[in-house]
Formats: sequence, C-alpha cells, structure tokens
Amino acid sequence: MFKKMNKSVVLAIFLSLFLLSCVSEDSISIQRINSLDDLNGFGVGIYEGTVHDLFLSTNYPEIHILRYNSAADMILSLKTEKTYAVLLDYSSALLLLKDNPELGMVTDDILSSPLGIGFNKKNLSLLSEFNDFLKVIKNTGVYDEMFTRWFVSDSELAKMPNFEKVNTEKKLNLGVAVADLPYVAYMNNDYVGFDIEMIKRFAKYGGYDLTITTMEFGSLVNALASGKVDMIADGIAITKERAKQINFSDEYAMFKTAMLSLNKYIGDSSTVNKTNSIKLTFISKFKDSFYQNVINENRYKLVISGLKVTFLISFFATIFGTILGGLICYFKMSKSSMLNMIAKLFISLLRGTPVLVLLMIVYYVVFASININPIYFAIFAFGLNLAAYVSEIFRTGIQGVDFGQTEAGIALGFSKIKTFIYIVLPQAIKSILPVYKGEIISLVKMTSIVGYIAVEDLTKAGDIIRSRTFDAFFPLIMVAVLYFLISWILIFSLTYLEVISDPKQKRKHK
Amino acid sequence: MIRIEGLSKKFGNLTVLKDINTKIEQGEIISIIGPSGTGKSTFLRCINLLETPSGGKIFIDNIDILDKKTDVPKIRQKMGMVFQSFNIFSHLTVLENLTIGPVKLLNIPFNEAKEKAMDLLKMVGLAEKADFFADELSGGQKQRIAIARCLSMNPEIILFDEPTSALDPTMVSEVLAVIRRLAKNGMTMLIVTHEMDFAKDVSTRVFYMDEGIIYEEGTPQDIFNNPKNEKTKSFINRIRNLHFTINTPNYDLYKLNAEIEYFFEKHIISKRNTHSTLLVIEELLTIYSNYFNVFNIELIIEFSEKHNTINIHFKYFGDENNLLESEELEDEISLSLIKNLCESFDYIFEDNYNKINISLRN
Repeated sequence: MFKKMNKSVVLAIFLSLFLLSCVSEDSISIQRINSLDDLNGFGVGIYEGTVHDLFLSTNYPEIHILRYNSAADMILSLKTEKTYAVLLDYSSALLLLKDNPELGMVTDDILSSPLGIGFNKKNLSLLSEFNDFLKVIKNTGVYDEMFTRWFVSDSELAKMPNFEKVNTEKKLNLGVAVADLPYVAYMNNDYVGFDIEMIKRFAKYGGYDLTITTMEFGSLVNALASGKVDMIADGIAITKERAKQINFSDEYAMFKTAMLSLNKYIGDSSTVNKTNSIKLTFISKFKDSFYQNVINENRYKLVISGLKVTFLISFFATIFGTILGGLICYFKMSKSSMLNMIAKLFISLLRGTPVLVLLMIVYYVVFASININPIYFAIFAFGLNLAAYVSEIFRTGIQGVDFGQTEAGIALGFSKIKTFIYIVLPQAIKSILPVYKGEIISLVKMTSIVGYIAVEDLTKAGDIIRSRTFDAFFPLIMVAVLYFLISWILIFSLTYLEVISDPKQKRKHK
Repeated sequence: MIRIEGLSKKFGNLTVLKDINTKIEQGEIISIIGPSGTGKSTFLRCINLLETPSGGKIFIDNIDILDKKTDVPKIRQKMGMVFQSFNIFSHLTVLENLTIGPVKLLNIPFNEAKEKAMDLLKMVGLAEKADFFADELSGGQKQRIAIARCLSMNPEIILFDEPTSALDPTMVSEVLAVIRRLAKNGMTMLIVTHEMDFAKDVSTRVFYMDEGIIYEEGTPQDIFNNPKNEKTKSFINRIRNLHFTINTPNYDLYKLNAEIEYFFEKHIISKRNTHSTLLVIEELLTIYSNYFNVFNIELIIEFSEKHNTINIHFKYFGDENNLLESEELEDEISLSLIKNLCESFDYIFEDNYNKINISLRN
C-alpha cells in the first residue's frame, strides 16, 4: 500500500516536472533586438503601475509583460533571462548601465511623457500652492540648479542640500515608492533624489512639517485617493487614468523611456562595454557583498529597524490574536446561538480571505480616514487573522479534555470558571501548544507582506537595499536567515514553555 | 439530610425519572440497584445537580438546592462523588489531586492539606503512589484515589456511581474494601451498584429502581430474600423470559422450537436442558390438542441465571381441566415423559384460566 503510494507520488512529480519543462522552454530563441518589434512573443520587464503597462499592451499586444516592483528585480530578470528587455526611465537607466556592464541600451526612443506630483482631488489649495512654488523656482534658477544636479551630472554623486526640519502644526505627508535615482532613493538612511529635494524645498517654502512614507509604486495613487498621504512623488508620469483619481501638478520634468537588454542581444555590437572584471574568490566576493549590502550607506540600520518592526508586529499581533482567539473560542462554545453565529461568521470570513487582501482592506477601506502609524493596522489585521485560526485550535484543545475531568471538578465543588482554570486549561494547553507554535511561526513569516501598506519591515528593508545595490543574492539570503533566526528563537522559547507545562517534567526537576 | 419530592428528569422526549420521593437520614448506606437504563445514575447525578432535574424538589439539610439563590458549588463541597470512570485529574500528581480541593476551595494551607492527604492515602493504601500520575496507576488504584479525593473535602455524603463497573474483576474487591471501611466509620453513602452481594451486606437500605421510580425499597433482607414485586424478584434472581401466545391449531411448531433454541443458546444453557424443554412443551401441546379444539394458550419460559433453573408456565383458557392429572389419555407416554423430566409441577385454576407451572429437572 505504502509502496504503491510512493510510486504514484514519484510519477506525479516527474509528470509535473516534464510539464514545467515544456512550459518554460521557448520554442523559438531570440536573435537580435533592435526595437520592440523584435520582442513579440518574448518577455519584457516593466515597473509595476507605470505608463509602460498600458503602452505595451496597446501597441505590442504579443509581448509578455512582466511587472516588477523594483529596478533591482528588473535587472535580475534580465540577467537570468526571464525577460529579454526592460523598460525604464532614461535617467535611471543610465545609472544602472554604469553598475551593470553586461547590459546595454537598445534605444531611448520609445515613450516620453510629462511627470507631475500627485495631489488629492479635494486638496486644491495645496495643489495651487505647489504650482506657484514650481513657477518660483523655475524663475529663480533653483530649478535649473537642481536639474543639473540630478539629471545632467551623475546623480549617484549628487549631494542633497541640507534642510532644517520645520516644526509647525502644518503637517505634510509625502508618499513615495523609492523607485530609484534620480527621482527618489534611500541612501545613508535618508531619502534623496530630485523629487525629494524639490518637495523638501516646497515644504520649506510653505512652512510644512514633512514626513515621508514608503509604499509600493502601485499603491501610491490609492493611498493618495484614500487620504493616507497628502501628495505623492516618484517620477510619476501624468496619465489620463491617474488624473481621474488624483490631481497632478504642472509638469516638472519629462520622462523618457529607455529599453535595456543584455549586450549579447543588442544589434549594434559596438555599444558593448568591454569590462575587465577580475575573477574574485568566494570570500572576497562575500566580503564585498557584505560591505555593499550591510555596511555601505549604513544599510545595517535599515535592517535593524526592519527587524524591530517585524518583531513588534509579530509580538503584538500574537498577543492581540491570542486574546481575541480566546474570546471567539468562548463564543463558539457558548450555548447562545447568537454568539455562536458571530463566532462562526468571524472564523469563516477571516479564514476565507487572504491576509494580504485583509491587510489592504483594513488599511485602504475600513480605516481609510484614520491616519495613524500603519504598524497598528498591520497588528490589527494579523491579529484578526491569527484569532480565526487559534480560536479553532483552542476549541479542539479544550474539547479534547475528557468531559469527566470537568464533571469531577464540578462535583468536587469548583465553580464552572474555576474548573476551567484549574482543571481543563492546564490539560488543554498541553495539546494546544504544539499546533499554536506552528501558527505563531507562520504569522511571523506572514508579516513579510506589510510592505504593501507602507510599513518598512525586514522584507521591505531587504527590498530597499536591493534597489540600491542591484544584488539579489545577498539581501535576500540575509533576510531569509534573519527570519529563520526569529522563527528559531520562537520555536525554542515555545518548546521550553511546552516542556515546563508538562507536569511530568516538573516532577523530574524536583 | 436529603429529602426528595416528585423528582423527574427528561432527556428530550425520553422520560428517565418519573416521580421519585424519598428521605435519606444521616449515617444511612443506600444501595441503588435495578436493570440498566432505569435512571439509577441519573437519579444520583440529579442529587448534586450534575443533571438539572426537569421537575420536583431536592432538599439537602433543608436547603432547596434548586432555588436559584442557593450556592450550589458550596453544597457540592459537602457531597463527594465517585465516578465509574474515576476522573482523576490527569495533569496533577496523586497528592495534588487530594490537595487541590482543600487548598483552592477551603483555603487550607498547603502543608496542612498535604498532611491530611497523606493520611487519606495511607487509609486507602496508596501512600507510596503520592507522586504518581493517573496514567501510571491501575483502575483499582485510581478508584481508591478518587475516593480519597472525595474524603479530602470532609464530605457529609458520598455518592458512588457504579464505582466498580469499569474495573477488572480482580480489582473490584480492593475498592469495595475501602467503601466497606467508610461504611464502618458511619459515612452517609448512596451507592449505585451491580455488585449484589456487596449491596446485600453493606447497605442499611436498598432501592430497587425501575420504570423511572423507586419501585421497591426495604432492608437488604426484604429486597434480596423476600422481594414483593414480580419485577424485583426477577431482577434479584436474574430471570430471563421468553413469551409465546398460541391461538391456532395450525401453529408452527418448528418456528417455536427454533426460537426457544436460539434463546437458550444466547443464555448458554446446556443442550440437555434445551432438549428437555422442547420435549416437555411438545408433549404439553400434544396432550392439550386431545382435549381442546380452540387454541388459546400463553407460554412463558423462564430462566434464572442466579439459580440456573428453568420454569415453564403453561396457561390456557377454558373449563377447569388439569392436563397432567387426566386419566382418559389415549397415550400415557406423553404424561410419563413430562413427569420424568420435571423436578416439580403445580396446577391452579382461577378466573377461567388453567395454569400449569413446571420446574425442569436440572
């Protein structure tokens, strides 16, 4: 019986591998890329939520569009040949080419569109104030100075002017996606870039206390429309679709699209940058990556603060979820059909919804008008989700205790509550803990999606580092190792709890 | 001490207890016996409200425990209960099982409670198991611990719900010995039990429960040696019956025989006795058909497990006519066969019914 099953499992694995290999193998291979027309039937990478999406799907319907969340991911997709070309903002592309000699630019003549700062439809005064500001800097030459700093010179070397923090009642919340230089980037634990400088100047001009929130590029418009932020910036192209939901300022720059690909595919081989890369040993490579990803620009601070956020969310969501789970469990086991219904509804609703969707509903829909640190929303959403699962774990644990134990407690003269506390609970905990442990660990790992609601956790920290260093391997492995360590510490401490709650263990210690 | 008036209990449509009225005085030891499913355990569980009665009143020391104002947990502290399935708290050691009640409920300091617990463990002979857990003990040991746990609360009454039913026969006596000891010390006890010999010599009063009421009660001598009611009698003697009515001369003798054989097989009665019974019945019917054309017969076969005896009751309607005394028989063999097979027989005529009772020779 067992052998038979084994065979069928092996067969299934082979079959799926075979199918996978069929799918992933391109029947035709690409020759040379001169324009987008050469890419019909192949994958092209774009930045999620940008104008390129509509442009490609309208004009080149045969191209497979792959949407990425960071320039780093796009470059990686090129290198691993998941895509054969990527579309990027021209200025960003120039910077990327410098760091990635095996890449080349196919063309910069694809699509250009004006860039604008986004404002909430209801906030017209802020919009006109900004447009006035734009006129002022263009007239005084400040704009030209900035333009030269970020777009003409090497923006990697550009130095942000210093801005004193304005302490006023007038708050200004800016949403960015940290796409990359020259618009918005994160260096030395601060935001830099053309857009940042411009808005910091604007804050000074208007006397605003500026705070910057990071979120996914695709969520910027939603966050603005729902009032989470007052304005958004990150090299955002002015499009009709976006203009329906938000107002744009006057254009402050032109956005030019460049197409990058691997040199070996680019038609004109003369553009190939010859590189004299020295063969590095593994250790020196590791040292170099470590320096780049952890030490340089104080990136470890980003990791530590991300770790802190992940820990805070996990810890408080666990406490909130456990208490709520206990309450739901009580509802479910109560004789009142009303409470029963509430518990059933809660459990089936929460278990039937992906956490990510729940998280975004909590952030963008339910509490759209409340502006507090999104970490609270994350704690709330993960707590709700945990509660739905642990309430059932608690229930089965409690029902697993022989009813005779309860009866004996009651017959001895304990009240119902005391019977539960002294007799049932200690026995239930023994069977609950192993499953509960697993649930908590999966909660910790699940928190890695909080980046969607502008929380900078461990995963997001890794992403931000990746967007600067274009190194996929090191930040990802580092983040994975850190998650593993958190889980390991959790497993360790919960196992300890399991051991000390075993009455027989207690006797051995005596 | 306990007064019960008109107690009833229903589970949905099923009436388990109909109408129970009784009074129990301090120091009494009451055994509750009766067939399965007659509400003995339910009756016991109603007394400490593990089951909520559907009707009636229960007074303990003149306190109406069904009154909403009554502090029921407080009353339960004075009334221990020993369960069929022991229900030793499995997360606590034996000693902790005996101290948790006094410490948490009676606010007795732990050391004092521990001393008392050790004394109780010595009394039930399990002092050396103080640090053991329930799953490390035998059934008999668990039940003795359960009794000691009850005693740790200084109860005035102990309710025993079939304390030996879940035990191996070899462990029954150790538990009964502990209960006997409590009896000697004058503890008030209600014991639901199937151990008839134990009930007979330990109790001061016996309740026979059937049909949802206390069907018959009395001293052990009354109930066990001299039961008044038919049902009590058949329960005490552990009698099993088989009923037939025959109202046509064309009855199916083979079917009748097959049913009797099946009944006997079920109760593991010897082949020889089965054979004799079948023969007696067949001969009775043969004689009967010589006198009567109309068939109106009631046939009852009784087997007493206790005495291992078989009785045949043959009841027929009509003029007075003792089949076993008739002299005009064509065939004398039938009669002599019957007389040969039975130990004793008698004949009564009343209300136009002839009744012949035959005890089979064993």
